[in-house]
Amino acid sequence: MTPAHALADDTPGKPPEVLLVDDDEVNLLLTAMALRERGFAITESSGGEHALQLLADWAPDIIVLDAMMPGLDGFATCRRLRAMPGYENVPVLMLTGLDDDASITRAYQAGATDFFVKANQWSLLAGRLQYLLRASRTRIELERSQAKLARAQDLARMGSFDWRRAGPGGGSLMLSAQGLRVLGCGPGDNLGLRAILRLVQRGERRSVLRLLQGVVQHSSVLATDVRVALRNGRQRIIHVEAEPEFNEHGHGIGYTGIVQDVTDRRVAEDRIRHLANFDSLTGLPNRRQLVWRMERAIEHARRLGHPCAFLMIDLDRFKIINDTLGHAAGDELLMEVAQRLRACVRHSEQVMEGALEAVGSRAHRTLEAVGRLGGDEFIALLPEIGDERDAQRVADRILEVMRDPVLVGGQECFVTASVGIAIFPRDGGTVADLMRNSDVAMFSVKSQGKDSSAIYSPQLAGRGREKLELESALHKAIERDELVLHYQPKVDVRSARMVGAEALMRWQRGGVLVPPGEFIPLAEESGLILPLSEWALREAARQARIWQNSFGFADAIAVNLPSRVFERTQLVEQLHQNALAYGIPHRMVQLEITETGLMKELQSVIPALHQLKDINVEVAIDDFGTGYSSLAYLTTLPIAELKIDRSFVRDLGVTPQSSGIVTAIIAVARSLNLRVIGEGVESLRQMEVLHRLGCSLMQGFLFSRPIPPDDLERWLQQTVLPRRAPWIGQAGELDLPAPRVAGGRSF
Amino acid sequence: MLALSPAPQPQPPAIARVLDEASLQRLHELDPQGSNRVVERVLRAFEASLQRLLPQSAQALQRGDHEAVRHVVHTLKSSSASVGALELSRCCSEIENRLRTHQVDGLAQMLSALTVEGERVLAAVRELLPP
Repeated sequence: MTPAHALADDTPGKPPEVLLVDDDEVNLLLTAMALRERGFAITESSGGEHALQLLADWAPDIIVLDAMMPGLDGFATCRRLRAMPGYENVPVLMLTGLDDDASITRAYQAGATDFFVKANQWSLLAGRLQYLLRASRTRIELERSQAKLARAQDLARMGSFDWRRAGPGGGSLMLSAQGLRVLGCGPGDNLGLRAILRLVQRGERRSVLRLLQGVVQHSSVLATDVRVALRNGRQRIIHVEAEPEFNEHGHGIGYTGIVQDVTDRRVAEDRIRHLANFDSLTGLPNRRQLVWRMERAIEHARRLGHPCAFLMIDLDRFKIINDTLGHAAGDELLMEVAQRLRACVRHSEQVMEGALEAVGSRAHRTLEAVGRLGGDEFIALLPEIGDERDAQRVADRILEVMRDPVLVGGQECFVTASVGIAIFPRDGGTVADLMRNSDVAMFSVKSQGKDSSAIYSPQLAGRGREKLELESALHKAIERDELVLHYQPKVDVRSARMVGAEALMRWQRGGVLVPPGEFIPLAEESGLILPLSEWALREAARQARIWQNSFGFADAIAVNLPSRVFERTQLVEQLHQNALAYGIPHRMVQLEITETGLMKELQSVIPALHQLKDINVEVAIDDFGTGYSSLAYLTTLPIAELKIDRSFVRDLGVTPQSSGIVTAIIAVARSLNLRVIGEGVESLRQMEVLHRLGCSLMQGFLFSRPIPPDDLERWLQQTVLPRRAPWIGQAGELDLPAPRVAGGRSF
Repeated sequence: MLALSPAPQPQPPAIARVLDEASLQRLHELDPQGSNRVVERVLRAFEASLQRLLPQSAQALQRGDHEAVRHVVHTLKSSSASVGALELSRCCSEIENRLRTHQVDGLAQMLSALTVEGERVLAAVRELLPP
């Protein structure tokens, strides 16, 4: 006998379960024993009714039914169990008598899987059962894999098809149920190639047909996306992919392939493309899309020999609106501006890419657009112009539409724009050149008062580039230690001694000393003035300490600061830090602010002035007499010193008016109990007049130019102390106390 | 008793004529060690079914229920073959075939012959079974 494990099911450890139904006890017993012997797990049942009861809550792998049984016979039992859910495909083996052909036929009719002639040949029976089990398993696996495939295809909105090239009647097309569903049809529908073509959108039908004909003709691979309108009215995009099949002679006999609904993917791709190419706030083309359009426009213009124009548009005063009304308002403004700008050109959302290739076509017109480069910067692309007057006209239109007030957050705002124009090919041959040059032109508008337009010219570029280089170099000046302070002494001519010094910034750029007039305005414009000022305050404190050590310096070094530094809350803290770091009293660093700067930002500077007074840092008003000081304010401001502007000093003794003004300033200072000092004193005559008018504190070339700190020390030692300077004699004759240096130590 | 021993022994002539030795040998082979008492269980099952079916066939004939007769002989046919009652099985087969073609002539005679053979088989089986 064959060992049990050899014949039993392939899955080890789990014998196949058999329900054995026979009314004859002897046969039931013998068959059961013989099959158990061969590795089957047998459940015995003596009749059809009993068997069906068992099956109600237990499912065997296979059922063996005796055909002839009293009561419910094998055929009826088989029919009944086939009707039970889950038993449609369970293998059923019917046991019949020898030569009983009628029973065999009835067995199949009743739904039996196979029959077996009753005999005592158990090995044959066992072999038959194994065969049926294996077939059943294969069937189950096949069904599962088909179901899985169908599910996967459903999920991928995909179905398969098979097309046979045929004879005279045309080809035959078979679509799987999933394929039919993709095309909006039910599983029973008959969908021919012609019917499918009718689903294709009218405009594309001809080109699709041409594509199919070409593919079939060359037996090449088909892969394309087709827009269809399904019978239910839905618009879908169907991806079709198929490979040719060949017969043994190498002739193409048909195609097998898939259809897939890729609409969602395409929509997502379109969305991604849109996000990548359009500004999310205004919906205008973004920088990337603009550059792409510009490149195409330049290509086209070069090929056809016509000019095209770039208009760089920058809003004036946008930052103020953003800062004062908030970002939401700023965004609202930008959206409105975008709408207005759009109306100034023939703005095209979509570019017809394919059509661009055709030489001479007007498709490049679709490149025309306004885009947003970022912030409040826009650009208009005019892909074809006659000459620069066309561009100028568009620029004028832009300036015009911008002048209408914009309602933002319930408030009317006025924004204007500065427009710079660059024209291909005259102003550049690449997108980069043209963008830079339109930018240069735009900046020139900004610097000349905004709300206007300018066409690029090389002169503009020269200035612009120089400025740019200067700015980037200045950025690095501090870290490269290229900045130095020079000092101009303040003297009291009565006592012939130094009473302080004004620090003036110098930039040693590559061996050349850059005068402050060339870089301070730029620093103020670019915001670099803040780090520059911080550096100067620190450096002045450091120098005060050095002088204190070397010759007992006890006065103050004055540092010029723009009004915006006074507005910074960190100023007081920084002065405090510096004093602490260098171990000097706060008063040894003095601050100077111009009269114009002070009065312009008076309200925001006043708090700082009070705080400075609290920590004993004195403030002097520089260039006094040139601005429009409110005397009322002057009386209340915590100011220590007025510096008479050099223009009045220069004319002293030349025009009588100047001495009148100086007299007035001195009178004001005296009545407000302020120190007064004359600047720009270059001659003994000027000195004499000033002194006579009642101002004994002075600075100017007569005494010393602004000089490096070491030179100042030398100047003290060699000129002031030995009383060798001509002004000392003069002054001495006027008043003549003993010459002294600051700090009370005599040298 | 002999049939229940592990190895088959020569049988008395009466039994040998009624029950086929080769068939009994096959039964033994199903359970060579005798540990499952297969032969005893089979024979007891056969005894029970024979005792039940023989009177059933007679009653069915009296009622003229040929279908019931046919069912009895069909069942007896295969089980008697299994235990080696070959003559009984042959009788059953003959009756079944005639009934299938609806030849009812001499049916009573054949059934009484079947009953006689059935009783002989029953006796032989009882001899083989332990008391």
